[in-house]
Amino acid sequence: MIEVKAIQKIYRRGDGTPVPALTDVSFSIADGEFVTIRGKSGSGKSSLMNILGCLDTPTAGSYLLAGEDVSGYDDQQRSHLRSRRVGFVFQSFNLLPRTTALENVEVPALYIEEPVDRDRARQLLQRVGLGERADHYVTELSGGEQQRVAIARALMNDPPLLLADEPTGNLDSAAGGSIMELLKELNRDGRTIVVVTHDEATASYADRELLIQDGRIASDRKRSGQPAREATAR
Amino acid sequence: MKPTAVLLLAGRSMARNPLRALLMMLGITIGIASLTALSTVGESTRRETMQQFKNMVGTYDIINIEPGTSATRGMPSLTTVPPTLKFEDATAIADQVDGITTVAEVQNAFDLDVKYRDKTTAVALYGISANWLEMHSYFIHSGNVLTDEDTSSLARVAVIGPDVQTALFPNEDPLGKQIRIGNVPFQVKGVLVTRGAGPGGSSLDSIVFIPVTTASKRLFNRDYLTTITVQLDDPLNPGPVADAVTAVLRERHGIVPPGEDDFTLSSPLAAAQQIADVDSTLTRVLTGVSVIATIIGGTVIMSLMLIAVSERQREIGVRRAVGATRRDILWQFLVEAATVSLLGGLVGTALGVAGGIFITLRQDMPPALLWTTIGWAVALSIGVGLVFGLQPAWKAAKTDPIDALRS
Repeated sequence: MIEVKAIQKIYRRGDGTPVPALTDVSFSIADGEFVTIRGKSGSGKSSLMNILGCLDTPTAGSYLLAGEDVSGYDDQQRSHLRSRRVGFVFQSFNLLPRTTALENVEVPALYIEEPVDRDRARQLLQRVGLGERADHYVTELSGGEQQRVAIARALMNDPPLLLADEPTGNLDSAAGGSIMELLKELNRDGRTIVVVTHDEATASYADRELLIQDGRIASDRKRSGQPAREATAR
Repeated sequence: MKPTAVLLLAGRSMARNPLRALLMMLGITIGIASLTALSTVGESTRRETMQQFKNMVGTYDIINIEPGTSATRGMPSLTTVPPTLKFEDATAIADQVDGITTVAEVQNAFDLDVKYRDKTTAVALYGISANWLEMHSYFIHSGNVLTDEDTSSLARVAVIGPDVQTALFPNEDPLGKQIRIGNVPFQVKGVLVTRGAGPGGSSLDSIVFIPVTTASKRLFNRDYLTTITVQLDDPLNPGPVADAVTAVLRERHGIVPPGEDDFTLSSPLAAAQQIADVDSTLTRVLTGVSVIATIIGGTVIMSLMLIAVSERQREIGVRRAVGATRRDILWQFLVEAATVSLLGGLVGTALGVAGGIFITLRQDMPPALLWTTIGWAVALSIGVGLVFGLQPAWKAAKTDPIDALRS
């Protein structure tokens, strides 16, 4: 699914001094894996996630998404990639205010050729356990429910890869746990899932963990994928 | 993104923030409303003026060809015009020029004495082709009009104006009576409906019409005309016919530019339009103010859209993340601005048309609803939205999704 080879990301300050965010990062993620990328803030994990999600391009190195080298793609090509290949889940949900859950789920379908499939949006809300609340405005929903709407939205165009950036960061541990359970279920259905987090409890749901420090992969290890009950409660 | 989706987004955005949409519409509505009202009232006034002009002159869908250069102006008469315009010229024009309904020949003179028994009155005498009367809105009150048969047989028949009837036949029916013009007897064939005063203030009713052939051969013994009148198929477009007539006459008279023409074309339409199209200073000032109001409406749209783009950074970020291209975002905000502006313009058009009709009816003028005005109002409001929406939409499209999602 993902093959990253010797990726570098260097930002430039206003005065032109280079600031390296990622240095020589290489790894690959197979189809159907559930991987966390864990690191402290400033470790480079957000930069890595932006590249994996095709929001940004690496300064050097190559990124193969489903066998396609996308590291040189321009803005428009990356937009099309995002609409088909990647589903995003954000820490702060990022739902459109004054809009119903259903309309939020439909948003990605506006940017593909096919007509908006409202039935599919409803089914996805059903799938994340919000079938009854499809026509509620998002402000009427709890944090956990809002994140479920966001996950349904990420699945709207049926992307093979789901990228979640601190998906439990704004939730209490119970709600966070159930969101991770939901991602786990989606993974069991065959979807590749990458979760970026600094949180050990969240990371414990994955089968594999990439630890990132100072812009480099510090460790790459298997995990049980079975969080201890205590680990869930922070 | 599909066009329907863009419109849907614009509609939803307005529904989510109706007060903002209303504020954005307001300036456009006021500007377009006053422009539309001004145009409606202006068109009514123009038509009213044209109608008055037609009542006065009798017609405006004609071109008059008179002998002489444009320097020798004034009402033509057999005694004043050069003898250059012939019957054959009229025939040639009728044969060779497209786009004309009929051609009429005229020989006229002023201050001619007409007698009946012991009474005498001075009249304007017109020798005319039979079709001339109808062309110039002279209608028969009693008796009959002149016919082509009268013309071809050089008949000594006359149609007289109501003033002539009053002067010569105060107590009897003039029909069938013999009047004398010069020493030639004519039988009165018809009496005309009262016309009143003409453009110069003189009466149009102290007038006698006889066949042009009779005038030429039996009365004046002159072979030249004072006027050839052609009636246009397309009354609002005299240009091509005028050019063709000029070409025919130049060829017949052997005139090669830059040699001066020995004839002059004139169209009452041009004069009518000139009178009707004179905008008052007030109209111009009001139009200027309306245009400024519309532009201010545009800047209101621009500033509110700029605020909206800042407020909606996150929305832009999310849309970009789920696959919207820069162009999609540009279109979304551009169409939103144009839609709001169009709505404002439509409301303004409705108000303006209603207001304009109200004003014209109060002034007893026929209201004139101009589809071109409505078309322009709609186009202008969409245009203002697009022009003033461009910068905010461009700003939205340039937003970096990573920054937008972080904000």
